Amino acid sequence: MLRRLSVIEPATLLWLLLVAALVVLVAWPVAELLRTSFMAPRTGEWTLSNYTAAYGRARYVEALFNSLYLGAASAAICAVLAVPMAWACSRTDMPGRGFAWFTVLAAFIIPPYLGAVGWILLAGPNSGWINQAWVWLTGAEESLVNVYTFWGMSIVIALHSYPFIFIFTKSALDLVNSEMEDAANILGAGTWTTTLKITLPLVWPTILAGIILVFLETIALFGTPAIIGIPARINVVTTQLWQFFEHPVRAEVAAAYAMPLLLITAGLIGLQKIMLSRKGYVSQTGKGGERRLIKLGPWRWVLLAWCGFVCLLSVAAPMVALLQASFSRAWGRGFSLDNLTIMNYRYLLFEHDGAALSVVNTFVFSAAAATLAIFIALAIAYVVKRKLLPGGGALAFLCMAPFVIPGIVMAIGFYAAYAGPPLTLYGTAAIMILAFTARFLPIAYANGAAGVQMIHPEMEEAVRILGGGRLTAVKSVLIPLLKKALLGGWLLVFILATRELSAAIFLVGPETRTISVLLYDLSEEGNLEVLSALGGILLVITLVFVGTGMKLIGRDFMLRRGGE
Amino acid sequence: MTGTGWRLDRRGFVGLTAGGLLLPSLVRSQGIAPATEISAHERGLYEAARRANESATWYISHYSSETAEQIGRAFEATYPGVKANVVRTTAQVAYQRLTQDMRARVRNCDVFSSTDIGQYTTLKGDGQLEKYQPQSLRFLFESFQKASDPDNFYWVTSAGTVLINYNTRHVSAANAPKKWTDLLDPKWRNRISVGHPSFSGYVGNWVVAMRLLYGWDFFKNLEKNKPQIGRSINDTVTMLNSGERWIGAGPGATTQNSASKGNPLAIIYPEDGTLLMIATTGIMKSTRNPNAARLFVEFLMGKRTNEIHAANFSDTTRPDVPPYPGAKDLSTVKLLRPTDAEIEKGIPEIRELWRDTFGV
Repeated sequence: MLRRLSVIEPATLLWLLLVAALVVLVAWPVAELLRTSFMAPRTGEWTLSNYTAAYGRARYVEALFNSLYLGAASAAICAVLAVPMAWACSRTDMPGRGFAWFTVLAAFIIPPYLGAVGWILLAGPNSGWINQAWVWLTGAEESLVNVYTFWGMSIVIALHSYPFIFIFTKSALDLVNSEMEDAANILGAGTWTTTLKITLPLVWPTILAGIILVFLETIALFGTPAIIGIPARINVVTTQLWQFFEHPVRAEVAAAYAMPLLLITAGLIGLQKIMLSRKGYVSQTGKGGERRLIKLGPWRWVLLAWCGFVCLLSVAAPMVALLQASFSRAWGRGFSLDNLTIMNYRYLLFEHDGAALSVVNTFVFSAAAATLAIFIALAIAYVVKRKLLPGGGALAFLCMAPFVIPGIVMAIGFYAAYAGPPLTLYGTAAIMILAFTARFLPIAYANGAAGVQMIHPEMEEAVRILGGGRLTAVKSVLIPLLKKALLGGWLLVFILATRELSAAIFLVGPETRTISVLLYDLSEEGNLEVLSALGGILLVITLVFVGTGMKLIGRDFMLRRGGE
Repeated sequence: MTGTGWRLDRRGFVGLTAGGLLLPSLVRSQGIAPATEISAHERGLYEAARRANESATWYISHYSSETAEQIGRAFEATYPGVKANVVRTTAQVAYQRLTQDMRARVRNCDVFSSTDIGQYTTLKGDGQLEKYQPQSLRFLFESFQKASDPDNFYWVTSAGTVLINYNTRHVSAANAPKKWTDLLDPKWRNRISVGHPSFSGYVGNWVVAMRLLYGWDFFKNLEKNKPQIGRSINDTVTMLNSGERWIGAGPGATTQNSASKGNPLAIIYPEDGTLLMIATTGIMKSTRNPNAARLFVEFLMGKRTNEIHAANFSDTTRPDVPPYPGAKDLSTVKLLRPTDAEIEKGIPEIRELWRDTFGV
């Protein structure tokens, strides 16, 4: 490592610059937060009382444990939903792979809040469509499903988070060539043995990264626990945190309450390290290799059925419920022709003061944040994985930290750091973009780090032996190899930014309202018809955007085409 | 949506691209002639504000963004040359920002409106509010004049109600509860929807009032009927519309707004009292825009603002402006209004009791 450092080249300066960016983006707001957590509310004196207030009561601690259980349950459900889909889409001849992709994207684009509303309409214990159908079909007295339970909430969250694991797993599987599978086949292993013992273990780091992200995202999620958890009488960290902002506002206690979440993040990163240590996951060596699709025979219909099932649960069913509301004059009246209207769409598109601006804002902010995050994350992942600078672990932690700090708390740090002088960014697009970048840097980082890990340094070394600098190596080897993974990461951050609510709500100014803030406002007004219509518009726009993006990536470079 | 929505038709379109630039002229083209008579006092404030090139920045949380923006624009149309910066966020955020501003000694906010009376007593106690005697206060309902701060640091500028709302498909008017204690009837088991006092000021005020009226046993008995607990007071409207629940302790305005679209909802003003929720407004100490801030406060109590309220289904504060469709004149209804002290002391207590009784 020292030998590498001793060769000072312009690239090194660039790395340092990026580290500085990370400090500005993450370390400063987090430090503000940490400082706040030790501050007495009025006097600003140093104190531990915020921590005793936050953790001195059984009910607050209980909420933390509920969050941990919820995160674990959702992550497990996500893995079950996503891994078979990702494998089927990447490595098999399952029909309808494009359909599966669209399912995943749609599930991801639907703001979790809207999905939860959809599931309340479907699985409410008294009036849910599923329960009504069940009672009608069987004459049963009791309803079949109840969304207002721990598992109901876990499943609803998982239905909008499994795309994390899918996208991660699929982009990793896309990079694995068939040679090792061939070797296993030659040694007599069947398709299933090969998949379970060779293919999936090879991409285990990315699956694990996806699981950790879902776990962390679930802990930081506010919307779904607020509308499902509270009626289910389950308090979690985020709903508890929000209560600290009711009068008398105890922002200091909230900061203290959020701090242990950082320890959990650090712990998970450590755990990840241990689980991945001393095993090789390099599958890109630059020595050729190709990928063939596995012929599944009749099994491909089973997998397709699974994808269809996931689509039904995560997209079709809740969207039908929401679309019904969005085309209704009064959704409480249910289906009928005279209740049908496009008024809600017309109102949003042509009459509403802020809707169109909020759509533009959302896409501009999200695209800018995604680009910025991917750029920084790739650079940092490279520095960390190739050990170009000491203290890589700390950098990795800094990259992951923002994810788990609930948006509202993170936003306080941001507001403290940037809203006032000297930067005075309050109400500007810049503060929104910076906040989105910081908040989703972990996604970009997890994505970039997993990608870099799969690529053997020898290819870059080849460039360097031939006289190219590190930047040339990155530009002509790493980026082309990781193109799809990076684009996947970009899409992830982009989509997540379009649904970001909890930080946006705090930092938004009159001219910077985003769709998610508008959704929240509409939900506060109890205006479900218009709310659903906005969800519909959001879905159409994002699908067009993403569809175009995917067309542009081009075809899978390792996939052998044509009949063979 | 409402008549207002229709009037905004063309303007919405242009507003998207032009932002605020074109708005004054468009507001005029809507034909909202400022019906408000401008008093000599207001004229004096207006001229002083214009001379000093002042503008009013308003932190507001309890209106929809659209209502808040409409009020801001109407103010600018009435007083050309004095700008109103509307900063509308959710309640928790607005106050947190205000306190962070104060800590950083940034004087962003001139006029602060909130439904949380505790915030005003704190601000007043800390000497953060400017004393002022609004001339328009005397035009408000008497109950609102009384609910304003006697020391003139904050004043009622808008109102809301918590009453019984129900789904008319499942519950007939004859069968519907007539008073709050009817909610304890076992026939409503698994049928009731309420909000949460830790998430909603409306619900907090209602719980305080119910406890004063019937003691905490009211809620212990309510729990026997397994009410569904939402977050915001407006969640009851969603739950009733879905048919998931049939009756609720809900907001008058949002319920009627939803019913006006054709949803199967109706409201009942309970015999034992409708909770009156007030939102107050104060001027921040050492504001850089004293005249504009005062003028804005007068405007918030004015006829024009109240007309905007009624058009957007929120309660009016003046007897000379008719209420929103379906609402009763509040001076004809039995109202429950705990004192500021009862609310401030009561809310932290009932939050703990709520958690003990309902577990969340």
